[in-house]
Amino acid sequence: MTTAATTLPGKFHDAVIRWQETYLSDFDFLVDNWEKYFPNDQRFRLCAYREQGICGEIECGELEGQPKFTQACDMDPKRAHQLLGAIRAQASTEFGSIQQHRLTLARAQHEQDQMWVLRMMAEELRHGYQMLHLLLDDDWSHVSEISSADMVEEILSMTTGSHVLGAFNIDFDSFVDNVVFCALIDRVGKFQLAMQQVSAYKPMAESMPPMLREEAFHLATGVVPMRRWVTQAAQGEVYVTMEGLQRAWNKWLPRGLEMFGDERGGGTNVRLGLKPMKNKEAQEGYYKECGKVLRDLNMRYLRARLPKLSRNEAIRALDRILEGEVVQGVGREALLHLPDQRFYRRRGLPAFEMIGTQGEVFEDVAAYTQHLSETLPESYRASADFRGYVDLLRQVNGGEVTAHEASSRAPALRRVGGSCPCSKSVRWVVDSPAESSSLETPLATP
Amino acid sequence: MPDLDEDILIRPLSEVDIGDIVEIDEKQGGIYRPEVWEQRVGYYLRRDPEISVVASLEDRVIGFMLGEVRSGEFGLEESTGWIEVLGVDPEFRGQSIGRRLGEQILERIKNRGATTVRTLVDAGQEDLSGFFLALGFEPAPLKPYVRTL
Repeated sequence: MTTAATTLPGKFHDAVIRWQETYLSDFDFLVDNWEKYFPNDQRFRLCAYREQGICGEIECGELEGQPKFTQACDMDPKRAHQLLGAIRAQASTEFGSIQQHRLTLARAQHEQDQMWVLRMMAEELRHGYQMLHLLLDDDWSHVSEISSADMVEEILSMTTGSHVLGAFNIDFDSFVDNVVFCALIDRVGKFQLAMQQVSAYKPMAESMPPMLREEAFHLATGVVPMRRWVTQAAQGEVYVTMEGLQRAWNKWLPRGLEMFGDERGGGTNVRLGLKPMKNKEAQEGYYKECGKVLRDLNMRYLRARLPKLSRNEAIRALDRILEGEVVQGVGREALLHLPDQRFYRRRGLPAFEMIGTQGEVFEDVAAYTQHLSETLPESYRASADFRGYVDLLRQVNGGEVTAHEASSRAPALRRVGGSCPCSKSVRWVVDSPAESSSLETPLATP
Repeated sequence: MPDLDEDILIRPLSEVDIGDIVEIDEKQGGIYRPEVWEQRVGYYLRRDPEISVVASLEDRVIGFMLGEVRSGEFGLEESTGWIEVLGVDPEFRGQSIGRRLGEQILERIKNRGATTVRTLVDAGQEDLSGFFLALGFEPAPLKPYVRTL
């Protein structure tokens, strides 16, 4: 197995560097201190990697067994268009997550946590760079009136609020968001990258293995600090409470579920050989894995809270508590729980249904918004994102719009300045078509 | 009753496995050491997550083998695979889980371009020595020395 490295043409590479200087200003600190925090690890390099020697035949769909496409122009327009949408959305999310993480990076309490997140941000920059490489290294003119150069400019111009997928339009409120985002939203990324390893477009498939290797560490960047926090919470520390963590899970898990696209869709991607699973199947795998992470966190909490229990006693105690018993003063409310898949959804099958974290059904908008206010982070409730959701929920329940229409309305048009040095433009970025609640929503990954 | 040959999946290590690895370690050694494994798993994931492997049965890890490829250790300039940690759930011992993990990690190390794989075994652990001999390892002339300070 070998990996080929390449860089973008000069002006685009420079544009990414300028973007990095704007949104990842701690990059030089990371590079300068790499050996201190990541001794003997391969040094970070801003480039695109392509894994050599991957399967050369299409692995699923109507063309299974035929050679993978090496050029976009060899693909039929529908396949190429679908793929182009996915690449653009993915590029947007990679850059978007850095813009979110930077807001609260400095608030980390532990040096290791901070450096892990900083490294993760640099690697997300590389992932975005990888997607720009796919846009620029091929000719997409038969499926797009926008030139590759303009697509790159558009992506580098996006800011939080104008990204293609909803999870990347939500500001972080504390370092808890950095960590929970890594554990939940980057996990979506892992699933998407793993699926795209079989892409019928060979350059896409070749891009995935190096990204997946980096993504594995990003998930640890989320899970390892959370495991430490629940231990501290059990010992009575006040830095991060179980309730605070629960609220962060409630904030991010619905967005993660939506990133898989509508539960009824994904068949086109399978048929076209771009992914091996439909949306629902992939989403179910993701939800199940989140459940395992959560159970481990609860076990970590319980063993810190009741340290005299043996391993087997702790396993039995956890099961009893989850069934509603109180064991040595620990009840279900002290533990984390996985929010219902339909909770706080604005896209997909349960969009704008009023379902609570435990699956309870609400009939009244006021009661549901009260439930949301009790289960989401207080700082987040002051955000435009939350207000936008509540406004749309009221409209849906007032019969002014359908849930489908509401899904395609968020987020609104936003005027953004071009931060890309190859442009001085200021433009309106139209988000809604790219993230409409179409059953074949382009899927992406942080 | 699962068919172990059929149902066991050998796959790369992930952060989701930390809890199960902590449990196997506790079953083996009798000590609960979650912090140790959080750091170790984090280390191997950032080094190269595709080399270390776990054996998974019905979504539960029942064995793990952690390693990496390094060069420059002890004057060994060539790229060398190191197998550093091995654990199998005592409930599943004697069912070739370790052998399957070993074969996978050797393949993965080979794919990274290393032509030599090394490990260190305590002289008192004859079962572990036998395990590595069965995997094709042989005693190396490199002799470990230690001094207590």
